[in-house]
Amino acid sequence: MQLITILIVAFLGAGIVYLIGKISGKARDILAVLASLIVVILVSLAYNQKIYTSFYPLPFLNLSLTLRIDPLSWFFAIAVAGIGFLSILFSLEYMKHYQKLDFYYSMMLFVNAGMLGVVLSADFLSLYIFWEIMSWSTYLLISYKGGKAVGAGLKYIVMSTVGSIAMLFAIVSLYTSYGTLEFSSLASLLQTASSGYILFLLIMFIIGFGIKNAIWPLHTWLPDAHAEAVSPFSAVLSGILVRIGIYGFVLVMYSIVGLNLLHKLGYGLLNFNYILCWIGAISIIIGTFIALLQDDDKRLLAWHAIGQGGYMILGISFGTTLGIAGGIFHTLNHCIYIALLFLVTGAVEYRTGGVRDLNQLGGLIKKMPVTFIGGLIGISGLIGIPLTNGFVSKWLIYKTLIMEKHPFLAFVALIGTWGTILSVYKFLHNIFLGQLPEKYKDVKEVPWAMRLPMIILTSVIILFGILPGIPLNVISGIERSFGIKPLSTIIFGMPREIGELNIINILAAIVVAGVFIYLIFSLSTRSRRVNQYDNYAAGSFIPKDKYQYSVRFYDPVYRIIGPYLRDVVDDFYYWLVEKSKSFFQGVRQIYTGNVNTYALYILLFLAFLIITKIGWGLW
Amino acid sequence: MVNPSLLIAVPLAFAFSIPLFGLVSKKIGKYIPVVALLINVGISFILIPQILKKPAVVSIGGWSPPFCINLVVGPLGVFLVTLISSIGLLVAIYAISYIKEEPTEKYHMLFLLLITGATGIVLTGDIFNLFVFFEILCISSYALVAYNKDKEGTEAAMKYLIQGSVGSSFVLIGIALLYGMFGTLNMADIASRVTSADPTFLFISLAFLITGFGIEAAVFPLNAWLPDAHSSAPSSISAILSGIAIKTGVYGVARMIYTIFNADGILTFIAFLGLLTLLIGEMSAFRQNDIKRLLAYSSIGQIGLIVFALGIATSLGVFAGLFQIVSHALAKALLFLAAGYMIYRVGSKSIDSLSGLGRKMPLTSFAFTIGSFSLIGLPPFAGFISKFSIVYAAIQVKKPIFLVFVVIALIATVIEAGYFFKVVQNLYFKEGKNVDNVTETSGYIIVPMIILVISIIVIGIHPQFITGLLKGAAGELLGRTGYIGWVLGGS
Repeated sequence: MQLITILIVAFLGAGIVYLIGKISGKARDILAVLASLIVVILVSLAYNQKIYTSFYPLPFLNLSLTLRIDPLSWFFAIAVAGIGFLSILFSLEYMKHYQKLDFYYSMMLFVNAGMLGVVLSADFLSLYIFWEIMSWSTYLLISYKGGKAVGAGLKYIVMSTVGSIAMLFAIVSLYTSYGTLEFSSLASLLQTASSGYILFLLIMFIIGFGIKNAIWPLHTWLPDAHAEAVSPFSAVLSGILVRIGIYGFVLVMYSIVGLNLLHKLGYGLLNFNYILCWIGAISIIIGTFIALLQDDDKRLLAWHAIGQGGYMILGISFGTTLGIAGGIFHTLNHCIYIALLFLVTGAVEYRTGGVRDLNQLGGLIKKMPVTFIGGLIGISGLIGIPLTNGFVSKWLIYKTLIMEKHPFLAFVALIGTWGTILSVYKFLHNIFLGQLPEKYKDVKEVPWAMRLPMIILTSVIILFGILPGIPLNVISGIERSFGIKPLSTIIFGMPREIGELNIINILAAIVVAGVFIYLIFSLSTRSRRVNQYDNYAAGSFIPKDKYQYSVRFYDPVYRIIGPYLRDVVDDFYYWLVEKSKSFFQGVRQIYTGNVNTYALYILLFLAFLIITKIGWGLW
Repeated sequence: MVNPSLLIAVPLAFAFSIPLFGLVSKKIGKYIPVVALLINVGISFILIPQILKKPAVVSIGGWSPPFCINLVVGPLGVFLVTLISSIGLLVAIYAISYIKEEPTEKYHMLFLLLITGATGIVLTGDIFNLFVFFEILCISSYALVAYNKDKEGTEAAMKYLIQGSVGSSFVLIGIALLYGMFGTLNMADIASRVTSADPTFLFISLAFLITGFGIEAAVFPLNAWLPDAHSSAPSSISAILSGIAIKTGVYGVARMIYTIFNADGILTFIAFLGLLTLLIGEMSAFRQNDIKRLLAYSSIGQIGLIVFALGIATSLGVFAGLFQIVSHALAKALLFLAAGYMIYRVGSKSIDSLSGLGRKMPLTSFAFTIGSFSLIGLPPFAGFISKFSIVYAAIQVKKPIFLVFVVIALIATVIEAGYFFKVVQNLYFKEGKNVDNVTETSGYIIVPMIILVISIIVIGIHPQFITGLLKGAAGELLGRTGYIGWVLGGS
């Protein structure tokens, strides 16, 4: 009942918000925030519960739709609800200048409801239904801004449809083979299935979930969609919606198929986990290095969403206690910091009149300090700097790679981090550091409704960075529910027996180092403060507006790596679409417009039927 | 029990009364189809529970079958009649203010005749009678396609007429062959004796009948008339043609194959044909910039899906095919009605010119969106349940060939999604050019659209409303001995 209430509140909220919006804009805004807040509360109340309900029978298919809550679904549900709430809060101010707000808020809530449905489903049919609802409402929201967003939305939904049909195929095949779609019964029934069949299922689900999760080579919809969506929705999209794909992976691989079967898949080196982790590794490299080439801040983050998705895949593909914990934890961490970073870009857009080009921004640190802190902590999380949440999950993933004896993969992951550092430094620097362009002189910090979500997310990053035991405890619960040996945790990290990680030590080291640096600085001579525009280069004076040394930041790097980093897959898809279009055009020529040909078709058809009968006795 | 023959008699009588009423008042004519079809809807809803308990066989002229023309009202018949009269009623309401070009009373008369024909086709138990009703349907649709009296419509109607006549004569030849073999025209009687005939002759007759009905059913390669006819007819007629008329063709083919000839061997071929139709329809629709042509090609695709599902020939497959008939009829009628009024307001059929209508005509655009989502097969709309059932049915037969078919059918869905999503984006997310003065539809136009939207959602969320009826109807198609038993007694 509790779960049904959550979904009813979520879906009804979306509908009511739309209707109320027709009457009053203010009431709509308040209601939207309230509805998403209630969902957060309802989901948090379900913590540590185990519920299973069947809520809707479909007798003609002999099925019924069911919901469940277990550690895995709760973990994702709370992330969905939380990010949903914060981005709606952020929207209040951010979206003020946009049109069609009734539609916007209602769809935001609707997407959230769809995602909640996906993670709370206890059988594949419900999962598929909510998945599709989530997909089409996402498509509407991506296209919302018009202009370029329309193309992005179409690309998204077409790829998403491909994923859905792959998933549908697998689901229906499961149903015809086993007569049930419930996760729990399938988990036991599948243990007797042949490896070939399991492999088929996994491939179909990987296409389905992988397109959402944007793993290489199924990632091409993501950069466009993330960049063109309005920023609060980009936060939802990149933070959690894309990661529903990871939920799917974990669900299918560990909750349903299970480790035993997974280990049996493959011959020698060519086994399933191995291939999956290489896909993850390729996603990391492609994602982070293409991100390095971007000049559009949202596009830059979007490519990181692909790259970081690779880390998660890398983590979960090994199926060890540490790896799964790392993968899932990284999913949560990514969700928090990438949402924060998209909100930061949103805040910058909001104050600069929608500027996303990194080469035109700069020096906003003093004007927007809260946003800057958000950006700084966000990229620290993204890089995985100690004391932020990303550090712990990346540490877990690295540790897994090393313990499973994959030094090469660990090296790839390390290179990925290196690329990440370069590109997000550019992100932070080009927006907040360097010279403040003249035109942004009067920029102010964003209003409170936008600051608050950023502050919350920033604090959570630090909180989980210092006390990783809180989320890791929940993750241990998830692992326990899979029947895997759970990760043992302490509040500051992990105990000694599985390789110690204690944030307190790191904290102490950092404090000591900080004090040391401070001492050195205070002992040395005082630096002279100069005006921002008081600049000279090679002895000559530079006009105020010309001097911005972060423009074309990585030009030499571009020249070296640029040619290798074309998104070939995307080019291939475009080529495919073009070819199919001209093929379709050719097919349409069957209808010549000449009625004589048509009559001929009819006669030929009749002749075909009769001749095949008399000639070969075919029918 | 209400006499089912009223279902045919009422629209026929009202049809011919329209010119008479026209003598009294010009304005009355447009309300008459609504009245007639309201009666029909009422009768069919009363009949549903009774027929599901016990099918009715109505003999006309007091002779008992097989010596007379008789109506056989089984679950399939009553299901199709309900669909025909409901969609007909909604379209009739729409036409009250949509049809403005004179002479309107001719339009309304022809429209009612078309409905009469469609109703007769699905109810009759006599194969020659079937042919007669089929002709009534076809001839009135030829005339209605050309109703706008423009060049395009006339040309389309002419082409339709030529191909339709070829089809009708094939049907007639097929019937003649049957009559020659069995000396009877009663479908149940033929069905009961079909094993006694020479299989080759029998097949030739079937081939003629399949081809003949296949033309109206718009199965590839017999469907070349459809894109022209459906796109140049007035939109209300396009809705009827796409929603109902082509389904009677499918009914004809299905009735021949399943009930009369029991030709199991050809079913896989029929499924293949359906698949081909689906693919070609969707591919042709993809590049269209004329909204009505796009919808017409999409009808070809959907009819292909229906035929494919019927070709699966399991009870679930037939059930899914019939479900698809319902969801396509609702969605396509809705799409044509919505598109029709958008075209009327904007004055152009090109998709580009519909940009930005989402703001100007919110209800109509919303209706269009729901219709296209349902056709693509997205939950929670009716199309999802039917497409899911089709996929399920096809995989359930556990034949490798059907697995291949399903994959191809699903790929066709992607193409379909591609163009429908593009149109929806056009409505909502693109800047309109010349739409400043466009206003929302009103009154009689909006009512049928709202009803269709609601029924698509309601059936999508609660399919149990119609599954009982559909199961019965599927049972009728697959259980030919039962059908023979109802008509000839005993068994």
